[in-house]
Amino acid sequence: MVQDRRVVALFIGSILLLGVIIGGPLVYAIMLSFYSAKSFVGELQWVGLANYAKTIQDPLFWQAFANGLMIALAAIFLQVVLGVGIALVLNRRFFGQSVVRAVSILPYFLPTVVACLIAQWILDPNYGLLKSILASFGIGIADWSAQGVTARGTIVLVSVWLWTPFVITCVLAGLQTIPTQLYEAARVDGAGAWRQFWHITVPGLRSVLVVVILLRGIWMFNKFDLIWLLTKGGPLNQTETLPTLAYRKSFLEFNLGGGAAVATLSFLILAGVMLIYLRLFPIDDAKQGR
Amino acid sequence: MTNHVETSSMTPDDQPLDQKPVRRQPSSQHQDATTGDGGSGKSFGKLAARLGLYVAVIAVCIYSFFPIYWMMISSLRPMDRLFLDSSLVFWPPDLASYTSLFQQTNYLVNFMNSVLMAVGTIVISLVLSAFIAYGATRLHFRGKTTLVASMLFAYMFPPLMLAIPMAAAFRWLGLTNSLWGLLIAHLAIALPLAVWLLWGFFKSMPFDLEEAAMVDGCSQFEAFIKVVLPLSAPGLITVGIFSFLLSWADYVFALILIMSDQKKTLPVALASLLGAHDLRWGEVLAGASLIALPLFVIFIFCYRHFVAGLSAGALKG
Repeated sequence: MVQDRRVVALFIGSILLLGVIIGGPLVYAIMLSFYSAKSFVGELQWVGLANYAKTIQDPLFWQAFANGLMIALAAIFLQVVLGVGIALVLNRRFFGQSVVRAVSILPYFLPTVVACLIAQWILDPNYGLLKSILASFGIGIADWSAQGVTARGTIVLVSVWLWTPFVITCVLAGLQTIPTQLYEAARVDGAGAWRQFWHITVPGLRSVLVVVILLRGIWMFNKFDLIWLLTKGGPLNQTETLPTLAYRKSFLEFNLGGGAAVATLSFLILAGVMLIYLRLFPIDDAKQGR
Repeated sequence: MTNHVETSSMTPDDQPLDQKPVRRQPSSQHQDATTGDGGSGKSFGKLAARLGLYVAVIAVCIYSFFPIYWMMISSLRPMDRLFLDSSLVFWPPDLASYTSLFQQTNYLVNFMNSVLMAVGTIVISLVLSAFIAYGATRLHFRGKTTLVASMLFAYMFPPLMLAIPMAAAFRWLGLTNSLWGLLIAHLAIALPLAVWLLWGFFKSMPFDLEEAAMVDGCSQFEAFIKVVLPLSAPGLITVGIFSFLLSWADYVFALILIMSDQKKTLPVALASLLGAHDLRWGEVLAGASLIALPLFVIFIFCYRHFVAGLSAGALKG
């Protein structure tokens, strides 16, 4: 078949443009990590692996890594548990099902900044709704952002509220693929709801959950905006993660090379974890080929 | 309706069509069959189960919607009662927070900046991704799979791995503090997703249609414009929605690439409002409600497309 030149030309042109605006920055980021730049306007100076060496020796880097891992794992766990639970409820038949399904994924639609502002408003230690409610029971409330545990907990809480709908939607779709005959057969055999869940529903959702956990893991680990908006890494670096550390180094300390090194390292760590994950839980092609 | 969308979007290949009506039966049988048999003890248990289901459903609704509702009613309170009032009604609504927002901040300018970015991102990413996805499904060349897989790979990159080099490169390109620079950044996050979604649509479209048009004397390009594009309208709408969302909600790139108040987009402007004037909660919540408003309108009218794109992993979040 003859290929239309215009189609070929537009395809190649668009690909090149895409390559420049995505590939260009990525290559430049890796390049920057081998240079030292004291400011955005200063000269670049080749320093080899010095940025990486400094980064790896920095205890803050490892603390940020541990914080990010902790926040990501807690958030993913809660998102999956809550997402599967809500999906199972919404999969039943009830009045107003489609409206409730729409409402349940509404939070996913909100920009992160809006969700963070709502959370700060509700949790405000002086004026917030939570404070008023607890005060009417005579319970006092502390500032959540003053302590590492509560600050991390709040980040996890907001992440769960915002992004569980992704799990709900995927699990609801996954539930449709489980043949109903299996449940009927199990009921005939006298299996209760609990055993049906563990022996039919969970295995049936396996391939969906593998993908969902993978994607949520990547996105949670790379999360910058939510943490920066809520805590800016504080108190005392207790919620500093690799993305916020990369931002702090690049744009507050004007250490571009150091920031680029942190970003590159965090990408390498993520890629490594993903490879191990995919080795442990291979994605079957039918699901991936969507 | 919604079932149909979700099912077809998640697993178009391995889901036989005739299963859809069947899948509702266990729960409905389970529930409805017992209402007929009238056994008192048994139907009591079923009634309790039904009641439990509705309690759970209401809990899900409150959990999902209450924080949004609380934001909106708080923004409609008189400003002097904002910090005292925790009632659940907002009547009569008081627009003082909104007027103050418009009078004392650059909100309208920021709103227009956001609209410009969103429109630019939608138009350019639709055009470019249509060319790329069409080429990737119809042209013959090596490395097609690599190309499409690399789009998915773009999911993995930490946003700062794009933002740091962009900030540095824009310095010597003269794009610092420029909305053009921000538009490039928004395209960089929207395009991989757009290509990935459209690739799925074009791939599933039978080639016969274009061939028929080409037999009738169209060139391949004309067949693409006149036959393929109109037929892939649902895919184009989905891509448009998600390009809009990515641009509209972006905080990271706008924070890093834009410095002056006049050029900020809504998310950054709103976040800096809280930092600049403490206790300006009325304006902040009014501004947040106004960011969410266009989204809700789109959500109501394009719910199907949204769910379809969502389960294809469309929105990074």
